[in-house]
Amino acid sequence: MEPVLMILIVGCVVIGGLLASLGAHLLPVGGAPAAMGTATGIATGTVQIMLGAVMTGLFTAASVATFSDSLLLVSLSGAVGATVMMCVVMFMANVLYAFGCGIVPVSGRVDVDPITKEPQAPYRTPQTDGHGVPNVVYVSGTIGGFLAGFAGALMYYALLNYAHFSAGLAAIVALSIFVANAILAAYNIRGTIEGFHDPKFKRLPKALISSFAVSLLCGIVVLLAATILGGAL
Amino acid sequence: MTVTPAVIEEEEPTKKGLSFKFPPEETEMGLIAGIIGAVIVIFTGLPAVIKGVGLLLVLLWGMDSVRKTSKYGLGTGVPSIGVLGTGYGVVGALMGLAVAEYGRVGQLYPAVLVGVIVMGAIGLVSGIFANGEKFIAMKIPRLERAMMELGMAGTLAILLECSILTGSLSFAAVVNNVMNTGLIALLFIFNCFAMLHPYNACLGPDERRERTRMCAVEISGLICVLLGLAMIGLGTSPYGILDGVSMIVFGAIVWVVYFRMFIKACMDECYETVGTGIIKTLE
Repeated sequence: MEPVLMILIVGCVVIGGLLASLGAHLLPVGGAPAAMGTATGIATGTVQIMLGAVMTGLFTAASVATFSDSLLLVSLSGAVGATVMMCVVMFMANVLYAFGCGIVPVSGRVDVDPITKEPQAPYRTPQTDGHGVPNVVYVSGTIGGFLAGFAGALMYYALLNYAHFSAGLAAIVALSIFVANAILAAYNIRGTIEGFHDPKFKRLPKALISSFAVSLLCGIVVLLAATILGGAL
Repeated sequence: MTVTPAVIEEEEPTKKGLSFKFPPEETEMGLIAGIIGAVIVIFTGLPAVIKGVGLLLVLLWGMDSVRKTSKYGLGTGVPSIGVLGTGYGVVGALMGLAVAEYGRVGQLYPAVLVGVIVMGAIGLVSGIFANGEKFIAMKIPRLERAMMELGMAGTLAILLECSILTGSLSFAAVVNNVMNTGLIALLFIFNCFAMLHPYNACLGPDERRERTRMCAVEISGLICVLLGLAMIGLGTSPYGILDGVSMIVFGAIVWVVYFRMFIKACMDECYETVGTGIIKTLE
């Protein structure tokens, strides 16, 4: 295999891993407290949200990859798929909280919305950590979904076109490497996060270092497998 | 004047028949499952039922690792750990299958264990990063070892399932029969559930390791049934249709026995609920 292709495979996997880690920090993860309406975000764990986003992204990316060879087009289509999925989930969460539970979307970590400057503190129920998906969290989640989908589709593209894996294998390997990075990010945020305005977002560099090491190792494993098999897939 | 107590304290009745103590300790479990699983993975010519026994042991080991990791309250949910184990498993299986042709003797593929070892190393590295003071600092005792075991158990489970479905571990056969047919997606979810569901379902103040393990074995039985159906559909086994049918029968027997045992254990133990007290911050 040519050295340029080798660097491209490892590079794409590492960049994908880092973007996955960054995306996980931007998504509104509520966990179990959000299921009871006592925390901001979507009511499930980081990995489940990330898995849902990247899987949708991979569907759209794989569809585009059947008729296009452009890296940017495939990656962006994955990003758009994941963004649409995240937006729908966040919107439906808001509908359920507002009309089902009768609580307003409000941030638990900031007193004033950093984007719209709306007051948050007066609407927060005492003893809770916010509810639903308020504006700033929605914007943050949209960016997070975009990055997560981009990361998954980038890895998929590298495995499909540079390592010459078959479509099914490329998708499942991209998903697996993505999950490993999402878990490290999930450990770093300790379960719940609101987005870029959350104090926990400052812990990001630690997750990026860990993510870099693990994606590099995974990239080398993929590279070795691709080199040994020599396009015999 | 001394008064002798009228009632002599009765000895506590021992719980009968519902312990499932094979093997009694986590380290022994890891060693036994790892060695037996590795041996069965190498010999791909074995009938599917024996591979099914190996799969059962390996998934039980994975469940134990998930339990060990999640016991300390990660804040990320138990499922994430099971998904992590399977994710590592797929990458490790790719590595193992890529080098499978080296040192191959007939139906023996000793080189696939390279994938297991590589994944153990990656698991160890991510464990060190997750637990290290300078990095994520989870401060969970023995997280490194648990993540290493997760990677190894996940890889062995995926390799065993590929070996059951294709009857060999050559890369072309696995890609054609497992990857391109989409069965790998099912295997991904099966493995996730076998590893994460038992502890996720049983956790709480009254969690008991043996009861959780019954649940794990029961799910592995169901996986064997589904794998048997897939085998009949693919028709790749060297032993013909009998292999798939025996797998279904084996899985069904395991499922019935352990499902009954699990439900009975739950029924017997549900009368005693361990209280955790009122939350102190309540105003």
